[in-house]
Amino acid sequence: MASLIDALTYSALLGLMGFGLTLIRRTTGVWNVAHGEVVTVGSYVTLTLTASLAWNPYLTLPMAFLVCAALSGLVFLIGIEPIRARGASAILLLVVTIAISLVLTAAINIYSDYLQNVFHISAKSFLLTRLDFYLWGQPGILWVSWAALAIATGSYYIFLQYTRTGLALRAMVDQPVLATVMGANARSLSLLSWCLAGGATGLAGCLLPLRFQCNPSIGTTMIATMFAVSIFGGTDKMYGPLLAGIVLGFAQIYGIDLLSSWIGPQVIPYKDLIPMIVLVLTLQFLPQGLSGFSRQRG
Amino acid sequence: MGEQWLLFLVDLLAIFGIYLTLNLSLRLQLGYTGIANFGLVLSFTGGAYVAGWLPVRMGMRLFHVDSSLAKDMIWNNVIINSQINQSLQQNPSMAMSILIVTLLVAAAIGALLGFLSGYPAVRLGGDYLAISLLALGEVLAIIGGNYEPLVGGPLGVQVPDVWAWSLDHRFAVASLANCVMALGVWAYLSAIERSPMGRVLRAVRDNPDAAASLGKDVTKIRLNVLIAGGTICSLAGAMYAFYTSGVAPSALGRFDWTFLPWVMVVFGGSGSNLGVLLGTFAFITLQKLIVSYKYALSFLPFDPVWLQYLLMGLVLLLILNFRPYGLIREKASYATKPNNMSM
Repeated sequence: MASLIDALTYSALLGLMGFGLTLIRRTTGVWNVAHGEVVTVGSYVTLTLTASLAWNPYLTLPMAFLVCAALSGLVFLIGIEPIRARGASAILLLVVTIAISLVLTAAINIYSDYLQNVFHISAKSFLLTRLDFYLWGQPGILWVSWAALAIATGSYYIFLQYTRTGLALRAMVDQPVLATVMGANARSLSLLSWCLAGGATGLAGCLLPLRFQCNPSIGTTMIATMFAVSIFGGTDKMYGPLLAGIVLGFAQIYGIDLLSSWIGPQVIPYKDLIPMIVLVLTLQFLPQGLSGFSRQRG
Repeated sequence: MGEQWLLFLVDLLAIFGIYLTLNLSLRLQLGYTGIANFGLVLSFTGGAYVAGWLPVRMGMRLFHVDSSLAKDMIWNNVIINSQINQSLQQNPSMAMSILIVTLLVAAAIGALLGFLSGYPAVRLGGDYLAISLLALGEVLAIIGGNYEPLVGGPLGVQVPDVWAWSLDHRFAVASLANCVMALGVWAYLSAIERSPMGRVLRAVRDNPDAAASLGKDVTKIRLNVLIAGGTICSLAGAMYAFYTSGVAPSALGRFDWTFLPWVMVVFGGSGSNLGVLLGTFAFITLQKLIVSYKYALSFLPFDPVWLQYLLMGLVLLLILNFRPYGLIREKASYATKPNNMSM
């Protein structure tokens, strides 16, 4: 049962992370390597507020959303936009996100050292399960992670489908030049998409320590899995990464648990290979990912 | 003081030789062919694993080490290595034989890893290839960190000291060997640069469609370059393991063996061997100085080693903003036109 809860929670969080990564890729054509560090920042917002101000971890969700949205927006404005405006290639922009990833990794580690050394908060490795509540016999993180995924997906859907800004954003994704000619402000819309993606990812980071052990490199170690989610889901449709996150999350935790009951516990440490295997198979047989598959069938 | 500086210099040269080799491999892939290989760590780790696995087994056979110790090579690793090292001190020719055989096997493994990591996405090219290489770069770290019989799990194993015969000059000789390897790769790249193959690689980089229309198999050329790049990275990994006399999967991370080389190459300029050399030297010196003097910064409430990452990231951002082609720009020729943003 515990591994099923782990799998369900992890799937929802992976879906949120993949959603953010894919949104950025779709709207601005950038694969954001620093996305992992945004997850970590979300976790540290929760740790700081729960440890220093004794906040309930779920009350830190809006704060994590805002901090990560602002951070992501800053990354776009300071790091990406000036270089993108000069016609940089996708690879060069990827290198920019690596530079940002280095800066954020250093900043997160300096911050965690500071929390630990000055405030004596256990910040190098932390788990906040003791702060969770129980509903119908199950930990609150299970319900809240899926609720966060559903609310994020639903609100993004309503925003993109039924608002003028959302319409402009969709237009820019599909036909950037035409959308700009029609008066859409590409820079503001790109900034908005980075903020929304950062916010969604911040939610995932905020919820992560309620079930999983976190440390300063938690997001960094998950970035390869996030890329696998994004590529497996496909970047054509926004539901792709959600679906892929659920499939990969289940495969990585519940699947490996099932496999270990058949083969033996020695397979458990290799669970992180599953996203890589899925990535290779996707690139080989379904390069457009799950959303491309549904389009082909349609 | 003088001896300390000498040790500092010798270690600096050794690490410089390793990184220069790795960075020249990236120069071949990125600078010549336009392949953004964010998975350098994969082949580097492969080479280091070969050095962690093969020489100790060769040494046991060659020097007739107590075969009962082979029942648990990992548990008995230190004892086995100390016996092998005693024999290697007396036998330079055997030591060099072990080194050469290991490097040959490492090169083959590196080539295989280059092929396997590139094959799934090489036809897609561009950023998809880059991202898949980045993700697949982690595979060996996961396997090596968990499968103890390979290289002892996360804590790793000792490697027989193939430089033990040089006694007090051990570190100087090892440093020299690392620099000679880097010089060899430099010569190889220079030869490619002047050959028709160099022009084909640049054509694939600058306009793959035009290259394909002229009958060049772009996918095959990219895959071949990934294989050559993997071979070079793997050699660097094996030499690094021999220099440090150990392999620990936890020390073979993406930051040190993929991102740091990228920072150096972008800083120096991916379009020039000399630029790569300057970028490598500048960052290795900076890194060594920070590590050497970090105790002077012990009053800070955090580990000063993070300043290195901060500095690297900021320098890379500045370079990308103000000088995207790096310190030294690619020489223009009748066949190529350097492009600031072409990476």
